[in-house]
Amino acid sequence: MAEVRPDEISAILRKQLSGFESEVDIYDVGKVIQVGDGIARVYGLTKVMASELVEFPNDVFGMVLNLEEDSVGCVLFGDSALVKEGDEVKRTKKVASMPVGEAMLGRVITPLGLPIDGKGAINTDKFLPIERKALGVIQRQPVKEPIQTGIVAIDAMIPIGRGQRELIIGDRQTGKTAVAVDAIINQKYTHTDEAKNLGIQPVYCIYVAVGQKSSTIAQVVAKLQEHGAMDYTTVVAAAASEPAPLQFIAPYSGATLGEYFRDNGMHALVIYDDLSKQAAAYRELSLLLRRPPGREAYPGDVFYLHSRLLERASKLSDDLGGGSLTALPIIETQQGDVSAYIPTNVISITDGQIYLESNLFNAGVRPAINVGISVSRVGGNAQIKAMKKVAGTLKLDLAQYRELEAFAKFGSDLDKTTRRTLAKGARLVELLKQGQYSPVPVERQVVSIYLGTNDFLESIPVHDINRFEKEVLEFIEVKYNHIFENIKKEKQLSDNIISDMQKAAEEFISTFKKSEKVL
Amino acid sequence: MRSSKVAIRYANSLLETAIENQNLDSVAADMQLVASTLGSNPLLAKVLMNPVIKSEKKISILKEIFESRIGKDSMNFLVFVVNKSRENLLREILLKFLRLRDDHLGIIKVNVTTAFEFSDEQQSLLREKLEAVLNKKIEFIFSVNPEIIGGFVAQVDDVVFDASLKHQLELIKKQFLSGSPSLN
Repeated sequence: MAEVRPDEISAILRKQLSGFESEVDIYDVGKVIQVGDGIARVYGLTKVMASELVEFPNDVFGMVLNLEEDSVGCVLFGDSALVKEGDEVKRTKKVASMPVGEAMLGRVITPLGLPIDGKGAINTDKFLPIERKALGVIQRQPVKEPIQTGIVAIDAMIPIGRGQRELIIGDRQTGKTAVAVDAIINQKYTHTDEAKNLGIQPVYCIYVAVGQKSSTIAQVVAKLQEHGAMDYTTVVAAAASEPAPLQFIAPYSGATLGEYFRDNGMHALVIYDDLSKQAAAYRELSLLLRRPPGREAYPGDVFYLHSRLLERASKLSDDLGGGSLTALPIIETQQGDVSAYIPTNVISITDGQIYLESNLFNAGVRPAINVGISVSRVGGNAQIKAMKKVAGTLKLDLAQYRELEAFAKFGSDLDKTTRRTLAKGARLVELLKQGQYSPVPVERQVVSIYLGTNDFLESIPVHDINRFEKEVLEFIEVKYNHIFENIKKEKQLSDNIISDMQKAAEEFISTFKKSEKVL
Repeated sequence: MRSSKVAIRYANSLLETAIENQNLDSVAADMQLVASTLGSNPLLAKVLMNPVIKSEKKISILKEIFESRIGKDSMNFLVFVVNKSRENLLREILLKFLRLRDDHLGIIKVNVTTAFEFSDEQQSLLREKLEAVLNKKIEFIFSVNPEIIGGFVAQVDDVVFDASLKHQLELIKKQFLSGSPSLN
């Protein structure tokens, strides 16, 4: 039997330990003079830097936020019960940073980059600071490539480009997270070989959960796994039970992770769900650090809190690799009040917003997007030509419909054109309804919107629209698949495609009607 | 926060006057005496803190205690502080003054903790090394703590020079643990 010789073992031990240097260790210290509520006041640490990471006993880390004349205010990233008055605090001489890299994909991590999904350690040696300066003007270029969310209403009328910041805003229970999760699931397409051949670059996703229930986060992760979206997604989780400092830095670490992809010429989509809770966490910290409260008791720099975060989303210039970081921040409003402090701030920072309304949601319009007041300020440049063409009239038709809708309720006699506008509008609204976790590829969106805006649906009853849409797309896929292929390849509507679409639609409508008669 | 600002201002002016009059050593010794008296007599400190007692009374108390023991300039300073009704900060001012004097003379206090008492030879070796590093004259304050097992820990203000065995063992432990799932 082969035996392990003792000298072999000691050689291995010596090798493993050889990296250890037993020199005098020089470090800076301070003393805790007050601790509680996730905040510690430290005497000493005279040379500490703002936002530097400091080490407390029991492996609790903290970040320096306040530099005062004779004390330093720190926030704790761990249990403040583990830190006592009089404890020694050490400088680490590092600003708070986190591991980044492809190894983070498919993982659920804390805002400091530690895995919490039980899948073991993350093997990456790249670290980036959590708080980074946003890029300047020279490094950027206008948004030009689309990011497809797979949600017809958004991709058609509120298009989002790579590098854009689009706010998702609405009351509780209006489907804000659903929109974001659908957007992540739809990025699966960008990771396929087909997309690669079409020149669509993959989009890596980061979902930052701030102040949410752990059960909700687990649900989102499960849904992403179920749809195979976790392979290209990282979930940064700072649940409601985590200390406020962790909730406060979670969006920044999400942005840092996204920036790694952006800076390496790749594309990333980061979702901050949600920033109102982050602002509340920051308010808690600021009040505990005795910073003066302002409007709604938020500190004076709550605007900067969000602007410096969202400013990090960007489309890099071609010299820098042309990567992008798209941000979809989410804000929860109270009773539809968008004029509260945080919503107005974030609306003014972002490049547009998607409004979700609870009355639309309750009326069965899902996703409950109010397309009248939702806008995208830059995404239009990124839309593919085919979509631009068909969606142009869609917005108008829906606007006219909404205007006349109120009249129609009086039941007054309406002339023929009004009736037609109303009927068309009702069908379009029906067309834009869409189930959760069922993103629609852009070529299919183009076809169904084309049919809607070009009066092909006139003869279809409103309650049949959904079934019609599904079946006509299936029909085209089976019989006229080249329509989809051509839209995908050419990205615009040539006369050939239009005539083919018309032909296919007419053919299908005739059969559709027949089956209707049998019933 | 404001009190420390005031203390620095008084301490600075005392230091500058002492340097001007070239009696820094005697003033410093006087102040050392006053500070230690204040520290060891809580009753005296209490009297000085008490705003009900008139300043004339406080001055006469201070004179009775210190006049025979300290120099004229030092006594004048004490009276001056009381007259400006800053006597509640007196101890703080004195400590700041002693600190500023150390800075002025390039002296630095080093707290050294050892597992067992250092021999004279070891002390002078440590002094040599530290003086070379810090480029200042060193005043040691030794204490013994068997918990550090071996080596020494020297603290200069906020900076710690840790050569204790205990710390080395902690570092090794950390190195072994790094990357292991137990850290998560």
